[in-house]
Amino acid sequence: MRRLTFPRGGIVPPDRKHQTGRALLWNAAIPRTSIVPLLQHSGEPAIACVSRMDRVREGMLVGRAASSRSANVHAPIPGVVREIRPVVLPGGISCDAVVIDMDGEFDLLGKRAEVRDWQSCDRRTLSRLIAEHGVVDMDGSRLPMPLSYGRMDHRRCDTLILNGCESEPYLSGDHRTMVEQVSSVLTGLEIVSRVTRPSRIVIAVESNKPDAISALRTAVRSSGLESHVVRLRVRYPQGDERQLVKAVTGREIPSGGVAADVGCMTLGVTTARAVYEAVVLGIPLIERVVTVAGRAIAEEANVKVRIGTPVGDLIEECGGFRKTPMKVVMGGPMTGHTVTDLRTPITKGTRAVLALTAGEIRGARTLPCIQCGRCVTSCPMGLDPTRLYKLIEHGDLRRAASEGLQDCTECGACGYICPSRIPLVRQLRQAKIRHGDGGSGE
Amino acid sequence: MWIVTLCLLPGAGWGVYLYGTRAALVLAAAILSAVVFEAAAARLASRVTLRDGSAVLCGLLIGMSLSPAVPLFIPVVASAFAMFVVKWSFGGLGGNWMNPALAGRVFVAFSWPGAMTTWPAPRTLDLVDGLAGATPLSLVKATAPERAQAPIAVLRDAGYPVSAFDTEVTSWLNVNVLGRAGVNLPTGYVDLFVGNVAGSIGEASALLLLAGTIFLFARRIITWHVPAAFFVTFAVCTRVFGGLTAGLGLFEGDVLFSVLTGGFVLASFYMATDPVTSPLTGGGMLIYGSVAGIIAFVLRAYGQFPESVALAIILVNAVVPLIDRLCRPRRFGHREVRHGS
Amino acid sequence: MVRDLTRGIFRENVIFVTLIGLCPALAVTTHVINAIGLGAGVLIVLVASNVSVSLLGRIVAPRIQYPVFLGVSALFVTIVDLTMQAHLPGLSERLGIFVPLIAVNCAVLARADVFARQVVPARALLDGLGFGVGFLLSLTLIALIREVLGSGTVTLVAFGDFDGVFAVPRMSDNPARVMVLAPGALLTVGYLVALFSRFRQGPVGHAAGAEDQA
Repeated sequence: MRRLTFPRGGIVPPDRKHQTGRALLWNAAIPRTSIVPLLQHSGEPAIACVSRMDRVREGMLVGRAASSRSANVHAPIPGVVREIRPVVLPGGISCDAVVIDMDGEFDLLGKRAEVRDWQSCDRRTLSRLIAEHGVVDMDGSRLPMPLSYGRMDHRRCDTLILNGCESEPYLSGDHRTMVEQVSSVLTGLEIVSRVTRPSRIVIAVESNKPDAISALRTAVRSSGLESHVVRLRVRYPQGDERQLVKAVTGREIPSGGVAADVGCMTLGVTTARAVYEAVVLGIPLIERVVTVAGRAIAEEANVKVRIGTPVGDLIEECGGFRKTPMKVVMGGPMTGHTVTDLRTPITKGTRAVLALTAGEIRGARTLPCIQCGRCVTSCPMGLDPTRLYKLIEHGDLRRAASEGLQDCTECGACGYICPSRIPLVRQLRQAKIRHGDGGSGE
Repeated sequence: MWIVTLCLLPGAGWGVYLYGTRAALVLAAAILSAVVFEAAAARLASRVTLRDGSAVLCGLLIGMSLSPAVPLFIPVVASAFAMFVVKWSFGGLGGNWMNPALAGRVFVAFSWPGAMTTWPAPRTLDLVDGLAGATPLSLVKATAPERAQAPIAVLRDAGYPVSAFDTEVTSWLNVNVLGRAGVNLPTGYVDLFVGNVAGSIGEASALLLLAGTIFLFARRIITWHVPAAFFVTFAVCTRVFGGLTAGLGLFEGDVLFSVLTGGFVLASFYMATDPVTSPLTGGGMLIYGSVAGIIAFVLRAYGQFPESVALAIILVNAVVPLIDRLCRPRRFGHREVRHGS
Repeated sequence: MVRDLTRGIFRENVIFVTLIGLCPALAVTTHVINAIGLGAGVLIVLVASNVSVSLLGRIVAPRIQYPVFLGVSALFVTIVDLTMQAHLPGLSERLGIFVPLIAVNCAVLARADVFARQVVPARALLDGLGFGVGFLLSLTLIALIREVLGSGTVTLVAFGDFDGVFAVPRMSDNPARVMVLAPGALLTVGYLVALFSRFRQGPVGHAAGAEDQA
């Protein structure tokens, strides 16, 4: 059978998932101190609704969504608010964070949760429950969840795609979640489908996760959810919304548009599980699965971590560093951001913490561009990264924008494939921000 | 770049074997001067660039494309032209729009046409008087029109020797392989293929050069597009029209002879594929290779100079930016292909 | 006034700075004597036409200015051409069509148009002199480089038994022939233009540092 995939560009890097893809998920220890940023989603920051020395309970609201473009933030641990201070998150996002010192009793941990009869809820109630519990798209856009399907309201959503690609190397959190918690994931998917009412549901998984595919197929059959599981060819960046929609439906999201424009919606595996927990168990989004990997990590693993746990604590928990890491990355190796401060907290959108050795990062020495064109061939968006890079170097942002700078999804394929090790993605990413800030008025 | 250099070494080594220390001297002069000039130019631009290996490769290519009999100042001038004028005037590696090695070679070819077309006999061939100083290609070009003969026959009539090895291999091939398909291969081609022939230092042995390319393909340093397009168009043109200049009819050109002489293998696999001066995308490379193939044929058939392949490549180098512009990939999420900006 | 004279020699050099009148600069500069001959011709025509244009400038109606300028320069070109044919037949033959073509030389017309017609004859004269000398020197420089590298000789005026050709030691044995062919002309002019801008504007790169101007 010909396996589906997106048509142009893309790369097949070594996946480095063998270690973590086989091991069971486990729960990380509860952090002594939790740093909870109020901007863990894209959009506006939440407004703090606690103040210094306030006592908070586990799962209590600490940041209220400021608008529909914002999301609620909850206390991952019970305790006392030590302070509310500004933090800088990977990628240069700065916002306030509520710092909570652990104290008191756990209301959710270890308790049997009350199961809500969600089947009897109407669409609006479900949507409200998801929003209230602070669920955001945890796998890509980090948009507040109601927004990512809210855009469906006036357009018919005919295809809902569960994104089980996880095509980026190292990452295997979705994979383990699909294998171990397949019914929660499917329930989450079903809830979202109740809200968006698609005419078909597709579960897309890359073919390198046969156990997840068979688990899903069995579960789909027994749950009676009307959907089918498709195997996609292993190829990066298939997990990207644009490429996934193209691969599954053949439709192309227009430049600057969203999946809803072509009647599609994608839902990440982690997000689906969070929806399940929010709606069925009533647990707000206070923990997520994080892949901790890289050759510098003593015990690579997929761990369920409370939001706000400092990266350093998480690495400690995985046996600490086995070797000196060259750099520590939050997020995938292609799309993640390097962190220099190990107190940086895990947020809703942190898919992985990678401690990479020099051997895993290809030489940092940049050579001149030799016009080999591999970046052009690898770009799934049909851009010419080297040309954009040069335009940006010459300060011609406007020209770069007219040649598609803003279409760049920062997938990192070009930078990975570049034989001269030119930091293409970094440059394009910065230029996008600069152009986005000052360029709109031009 | 280092890998490409490595892949060229067998071919260069064969040249040194054929022509002795003289060839080694020419190669050394070309490489050394290329390295020195690169270092000097890079110093002027306050950069350090010797590590990328492009200077050594460029020098080696220049040396390999010269006759072993050239005075030693020629490789030095060629390297200087390649480095200063072609490469560093445009910003060093990656900035040049023309292949430096080829441009250097063409510069000296036009400057000293006499010295550049004096070909000593390789040690494996026993050339009779009057044939020394000619390559098979130049010999055929000089005599063919009056004779209406296939190139190989021209060589035979002129007394160009055939080695015992060639006779043996050809007869074996004819008996065991080609004979079954009803083809009879004349003697002479095997000599051309393994490199038992007069010519420039590096172009002799198609066999060793092709062996080097296996590694290049395996490491994905070059892709099939350029050599394939180059070869196909050149071969088709030669087959269809190549006979005309020799007084034969249409469809009577000798493809095998054409691609085994005149440095075709060296140029199409090692020079035309230079990433800096070839197009970015696969489609662009096909156009580039095809145009180069056609120009190479026209120049070889009707031109005055023997280095048709080199000229064709640098001519097409000049239009690569246009080809790139034509072959820009369609941008995702945009309806139509956008040309230009 | 002094500026009128010096401007054309370096700062606004026709060939290397404003890049006009390039055809003869590329075509005839294979020998030094050709360059001097053509340069001198242009110098004479430029001075004469500048002065005449300056005198005529106020009389002639603007609508017919250009035809008149052309006529004026053609007149002097014809004089120069016929004089050359009469007294320097060898040189005239070598320069061929390029002498009559001075009539439409951009340099001559450009000076007439942008400068001479607006100023008094004295200034126009100095200007013509400056630009003419600039043109002459530029051509000679190009020709010197090309001939030395491409032929290994320097050809000057022949008189008596002397044929006017100096051979450059060592270079004349193996000259780089390509320098007297068309590519050589383009290369030489290109590098001289680059050199001129380098001296006029200082090194590039320092100025190009402004990154965020987009």
